[in-house]
Amino acid sequence: MASTDEELVARSRTGDLDSFNQLVLRWERPIYALAYRTIGREEDARDVCQETFLRAFRALGGFKGEAKFSSWLYRITLNLCRDWIRRERRQPVAQAPEGVDLVELAGESSPSESIEDLVARKEISAAVARVMAELPEEQRTAILLKEYHGLTFQEIADMQDCPLSTVKTRLYQGLTVLRRQLERSGVSGGFKNHV
Amino acid sequence: MCEDKELLVGYLYDDLGDGDRARFEAHLRGCEACRLELKAMRGVRADLAAWAPPVPDFGFRVVRGGRDAAERDAIRPVIAAPVSWRAWWTPAAGLAAAAVLVLAAAASLAHVEVHRGPDGITVRTGWPTSPAAATANAGATRPNIDGAMVPAAAGAPSVAQRGQVDPEFIAAIARRLDALEAAASHDSSVRNASTMSARAADAEIIKRVRELLAQSESRQQGELALRIAQVIRDVDAQRMADLTRIQQRLGRIDATVTAEAASRSDLTNFILTSARQK
Repeated sequence: MASTDEELVARSRTGDLDSFNQLVLRWERPIYALAYRTIGREEDARDVCQETFLRAFRALGGFKGEAKFSSWLYRITLNLCRDWIRRERRQPVAQAPEGVDLVELAGESSPSESIEDLVARKEISAAVARVMAELPEEQRTAILLKEYHGLTFQEIADMQDCPLSTVKTRLYQGLTVLRRQLERSGVSGGFKNHV
Repeated sequence: MCEDKELLVGYLYDDLGDGDRARFEAHLRGCEACRLELKAMRGVRADLAAWAPPVPDFGFRVVRGGRDAAERDAIRPVIAAPVSWRAWWTPAAGLAAAAVLVLAAAASLAHVEVHRGPDGITVRTGWPTSPAAATANAGATRPNIDGAMVPAAAGAPSVAQRGQVDPEFIAAIARRLDALEAAASHDSSVRNASTMSARAADAEIIKRVRELLAQSESRQQGELALRIAQVIRDVDAQRMADLTRIQQRLGRIDATVTAEAASRSDLTNFILTSARQK
């Protein structure tokens, strides 16, 4: 039976690297995904991911367990991303290919997905990345944590140090901008599926 | 209620209490604007789901900085070898293990000895014929009084060491030799045959070991070549299948586009014709 995060954290705090590396294995993908969607560069996101775990290991003594370990990791990641954006003095990058390589896409398609659907998905993905990069940081972060990492409103409020109602407002505002921009770009595929 | 966007967001993410949910659903039934907005928000969420990050080769692990570094500050990240390469090399590792086993078996048969000396690494094969023969290879020997081979320094002193020739001693030796020759005339022929037979057996073993090694090497090369050829064939087949599939899809898209163009052309003609008639 797999150990819980709390058990692995407790063992890691005694210097057990194997336990900590199990946590790394468990959380590296979500942390990388959060970093990538926040700053938009693969290599930099990988660096942020590694730095997150190094900082977490060094700061394990100060982790009181009041929040979930994952929330604590997310907070470290977002702080590192903020540092990266400040250091680079620029907006997050929307890293999307200009053209669509069909041969390359063919390798990514699932058996049930046609090439047309795959091309459409890629276009939507690129458009979402572009619009997300233009959102204010608070709105973007709220959407990322809610949509892709499933945090509760309260967990996001704790992470952003704001009231719960503010989180909902940020989500509403961010989603509204996304909706408007995606409809304007003409690539929105989700809306037609839900009308 | 239309202004209460927190309620809308709570409903959108299925995070409302029973009372609020029932109240909002009742409102939705009578408010088309909120229904449309909710659908639009769900559409945005579906679009967001299409945004997937790339999947890099992970393998990042935290290790200690050095053998003696026990401090936490000494930790550092390392990138392990990608899993795909490990999987690719598995058959090769199996072949290598099999080759080592064959070589080990052959070495045990051939009694291969490896020595590392000042002149470099020396490999020697073959079994010594007898302790006496091994000693003979190592240095000067002479037969002792019983006819066995012994080192020159052992046993009775040689004539040269004694410094003089004793006729009695020589005569005794001659008598003894005659007696031994007579007594062992039959044995000597058997012994010579035995020695020859042992040497022939050694040569046979060495020859056999060399054959085994050659066969093993040849078999491994053959298997490796077969495996490489198989991989190349598989990759080619997959590539061809992918290209064919892409071509088919493009053909379908092309047909759709052509049909649409034809339809538009018909529509334009119809409009023009109608305009002219009017």
